[in-house]
Amino acid sequence: MAIRELKVCLLGDTGVGKSSIVCRFVQDHFDHNISPTIGASFLTKTVPCGNELHKFLIWDTAGQERFHSLAPMYYRGSAAAVIVYDITKLDSFQTLKKWVKELKEHGPEDIVVAIAGNKNDLGDIREVPMKEAKEFAESIAAIFIETSARNAVNVEELFQKISKQIPPLENAEVESNDSFKLTRQPSQTTRRCC
Amino acid sequence: MDSCAAAERSSGGLTNRSSSFFKLIDTFALEIGELKKEMVQAAPALDKQPVALQGLQAGAYLQPPHCGVSVGEKDSGYDSLRRRMSVLDRLTQTHQVWLLLAVSEDEASGILLKQPPGVFLVRKSAVLQRKVLSVRLDEGGSEAPIRHFHVRESQYSFSIEGSGISFADLFHLVAFYCVSRDILPFTLKLPEAISSAKTQKELEDVAQLGAGFWDSALCSQRRSSPSVCRRLSRTLSPQRSRRTAEVEESRQGHAGAHSDSAPPTLQPHTSPPAFFQHATHPAGPLCFVNPLFLQTHPRCHEANPPTRSQPEAAPDSQTPSGSSRCREPEVDRTKLNGKSRPPPPRPPPPRSMPSRRPAPAPPGPPAAASRTKSMPTAVASRKPQASTRRPAPAPPPLPAKTSSSVKSAVSPNRPPPRPKRPDLEAHRCHIALDDETIARALSRANLPSCQPPPAAEEPPQNLGLSGPDERGRQRFSDMSMSTSSSDSLEYSRTPGFSLDLAPSPPQDAGQEDSTEDDEDVEEEEEEDYGVGMEADLESRLGQVLKARRRRVGVSLGGGSFILPRSLKGRFSKVGGMLSSLMTPEKRAVKRITELSRDKSSYFGSLVQDYISFVQENRSCHTSGMDFLQTVRQFMTQMKAYLRQSSELDPPLESLIPDDQIDRVLEKAMHKCVLKPLKSVIEVIQHDFQVNSGALQQLRENLALAKTKKPQELGVDGAVPPDAAAIEKIRQKFLSMRKMYSPDQKVSLLLRICKLIYTIMQDNSGRMYGADDFLPMLTYVVAQCDMPQLDMEVQYMMELLDPTLLQGEGGYYLTSAYGAMALIKNFQEEQAAQVLSSEARNTLHQWHRRRTAQRSVPSVDDFQNFLRVALQEVGSGVTAKTLQVQPYTTAEEVCSLCACKFKIPDPENYALFLITEDTSQQLAPDTHPQQIKAELHSRPLEHVFHFVYRRVANLNLCSPADVDNGNCLQVE
Repeated sequence: MAIRELKVCLLGDTGVGKSSIVCRFVQDHFDHNISPTIGASFLTKTVPCGNELHKFLIWDTAGQERFHSLAPMYYRGSAAAVIVYDITKLDSFQTLKKWVKELKEHGPEDIVVAIAGNKNDLGDIREVPMKEAKEFAESIAAIFIETSARNAVNVEELFQKISKQIPPLENAEVESNDSFKLTRQPSQTTRRCC
Repeated sequence: MDSCAAAERSSGGLTNRSSSFFKLIDTFALEIGELKKEMVQAAPALDKQPVALQGLQAGAYLQPPHCGVSVGEKDSGYDSLRRRMSVLDRLTQTHQVWLLLAVSEDEASGILLKQPPGVFLVRKSAVLQRKVLSVRLDEGGSEAPIRHFHVRESQYSFSIEGSGISFADLFHLVAFYCVSRDILPFTLKLPEAISSAKTQKELEDVAQLGAGFWDSALCSQRRSSPSVCRRLSRTLSPQRSRRTAEVEESRQGHAGAHSDSAPPTLQPHTSPPAFFQHATHPAGPLCFVNPLFLQTHPRCHEANPPTRSQPEAAPDSQTPSGSSRCREPEVDRTKLNGKSRPPPPRPPPPRSMPSRRPAPAPPGPPAAASRTKSMPTAVASRKPQASTRRPAPAPPPLPAKTSSSVKSAVSPNRPPPRPKRPDLEAHRCHIALDDETIARALSRANLPSCQPPPAAEEPPQNLGLSGPDERGRQRFSDMSMSTSSSDSLEYSRTPGFSLDLAPSPPQDAGQEDSTEDDEDVEEEEEEDYGVGMEADLESRLGQVLKARRRRVGVSLGGGSFILPRSLKGRFSKVGGMLSSLMTPEKRAVKRITELSRDKSSYFGSLVQDYISFVQENRSCHTSGMDFLQTVRQFMTQMKAYLRQSSELDPPLESLIPDDQIDRVLEKAMHKCVLKPLKSVIEVIQHDFQVNSGALQQLRENLALAKTKKPQELGVDGAVPPDAAAIEKIRQKFLSMRKMYSPDQKVSLLLRICKLIYTIMQDNSGRMYGADDFLPMLTYVVAQCDMPQLDMEVQYMMELLDPTLLQGEGGYYLTSAYGAMALIKNFQEEQAAQVLSSEARNTLHQWHRRRTAQRSVPSVDDFQNFLRVALQEVGSGVTAKTLQVQPYTTAEEVCSLCACKFKIPDPENYALFLITEDTSQQLAPDTHPQQIKAELHSRPLEHVFHFVYRRVANLNLCSPADVDNGNCLQVE
């Protein structure tokens, strides 16, 4: 089986559980597809998909506002982006919309966007209705799923959905290797204090 | 795959082989002794000849191959030598025929069905993306007529799936299976035209056909004339037509490759030096076994031994169950050997070398043409680019590359990447090298530098040997000598170099010397393994050897490998050891690197031109990043070129497992482009930084950032490294600066990141993602206070293989880049932070104010416009905005109004200034805009209008009327 490397970047506010989701995904099941990495902000995992093996190269990003301007460096060349929000924090959902907008404007074409509402184990204090999030996701043709990294709910499924959306045998993942410049500022965004 | 039994046999074979190997060693020793005697005598004469001839011969050689003519003629004298060509030699030289990676299974079957059992192809399965050895089986068999064995490629070796024996490269693998069946139903068989070829020329002819060989007369002829008795006189028949040769081949062919090649077969120097060396070592006092090659060695030994003295033994041992062929060949060999030994007299080799690669010297116009041809179109286009950027670098090589012509000629047959004739050329080169090298060694101690590439090229030596001087008897000694020299070459240089040398080769001393000098210089720069040792040896032996070389070279054709090894083992054990430790990857990198310094090769000239261009033109870029990108582009282009061109003789695919090729190429590019340019790149980067003021700003911001606490940089919770750890990291950064390879820099960066992670986790015991890591990295970078890091990061970012940018290295490099960027803009960030908190509202309000104000005309807005109302008696008021310059007079405004309002009788109209309570006509020479400005500047706001109306009526319109919006109002 041919192995395809897929770069996936994680976006979302700090504290919504980006890293937890990935750690759960990568480390939950002990299998040999996990290649050791030096830290939790870059992880890889290989999963079978049809006739191919998808090796996810997962790029975590810092969610703080101050690092926002660096995001383009992280998501360029990505085959998919997982935008995570915290269902108990409305703010994080607003930030998510901002990311969606930015990806549309500056992200790679054909990038697969997945929206993950994390911490669905905390339904009691939910601030973001699932319906609203789902409709928003549908409006932008994004994958939507609510997850719980803590309880390992839907984490695997999230990545399976991404795998399915990756066009099979996509012509070599040619990413534009144009150098990116940090100075390219993302569009104006609402600022949040961290 | 099906046949598992083979494994057993192979194991048994090994022991046999080893014994045979020792026998061989003994024989070598004897021969060497003889050779030494001979060599001493012969030496003087040889030296001179080569020099004179070199240029001419080289040129001749180059062209001939293309034409398909000359080589054979020259070689004709070498028949004896030909016989000695080992299987490995033959395989290496004719890979164009059997290494058909692009051929499908059906096509392969189509080809092989017409062939006798044992004939094979190596192709690549599109489905599996693996190489497959397709073999024709016995017709009578119940199985399918064609069987496909998958080739397994690990990082360092090639093997047949199911077999425990692995090889450093494909040539060795196939050569081994030509002699020993291992898990195959029987040994492989070379097409007769190849196995029976007696001259390089013949092999070249075959190789030229490429895949077309299978449909050619050459291929079919052999079978038809299979069982002719063998000619004893092969050596004698100098000029055979191909057909005759073929016929002979066919005869021999039955015997299979073995008969001719077998003895020498495995030995063939072609194979990577490492292997052979192993073989030799055992003989020698010191034995170093490279674990990587352990499996391989046995074969090599076998192969080597069989050459002359013990040809039979080796084959037998190897092929236990043995096909009948094996035996026959043995007999033949013995006969051949006896004959062959004496023969070697002609000294032609050098030329051959040139032919193979662009011979430096001879290159006439034709060469140039050939070159261009040889270059893939794509390459050509690329070249231009590189050159365009830098004017200088444009491809100068043309003149030098006569040899290329050969390639080009070949290329048509085999358009694809694979080198067509490389083998032949390589062989020649080797030969030439050998002689030359020997001569050099003798004349100068420099030898090491001259010697080229390792494995693949060695075989050529044999040919070369035969060529130049005709003193054949000394073969063994000669061969040994040559091999030694070649070995040394290998260590020091890659094939490319050898090629360079090749051109000069024919005439011993003169040419060699000159070439040697150049090479020496180059080699000395790098020298890797044991070169020095060999040089010494050569220097000592030099004179004698020199004389012999040519002779030897000639004789070598057959058994050069063996002897050389043995010699080496004795003389340069150390060197051998070292070389043996070289992995195929290292050897490949070395070859490419050597080729890159060979200005007579197309590749070499491109690289060298580019390097000198960069060195001389530092200011033709707009930024450091732009500059680095051009460097990266150049490397990428060169990689693509190497993949397509035939300049790398044995194609990389045959030496390096598929998935490793790009990595190896990348590594080679770093070595041959970045290494020499590192200091220049640093200077250029630094200059850009200084000139743009970026460095100064960075320094200031770093100093500021260094005073910040981790929390101020966004660290939340995790405990930062202490001073000692920071210092440790700083040291790592410093050592990173010394490296030229972006890959190595990145791996060091990863270690640094790992260290930071470890500290973070040790202190808190939890996993940290980017939210925590990036701020911490920023803090660490600030604490290290190294402005140079910015350049380092840029260097890695721009020069790292783009394919690596997605991986872990790319991730942390991006993070480091981000950290540097944050620090670079630290003050602005700080400002932004402050603003974003309390001042955000202010900012927002300010923004709103600005936008709000836009709705009201500003003073600026008035500058060049004037709103004028037309007041008609009967029809009320209409207004227009006119463009009125500050010094436009009222009179001019009036005529403008007349035009705009389409007034038929403008003489009756005038411009009036009407305010709340006054109306006054403006004199023709007044300036309405200035009046307006004056009114605006008054402390009290006035309502005023410019009105264009009939003079006759002095009716004032009420301001209210005018106010309808037609008139300007200022409030």
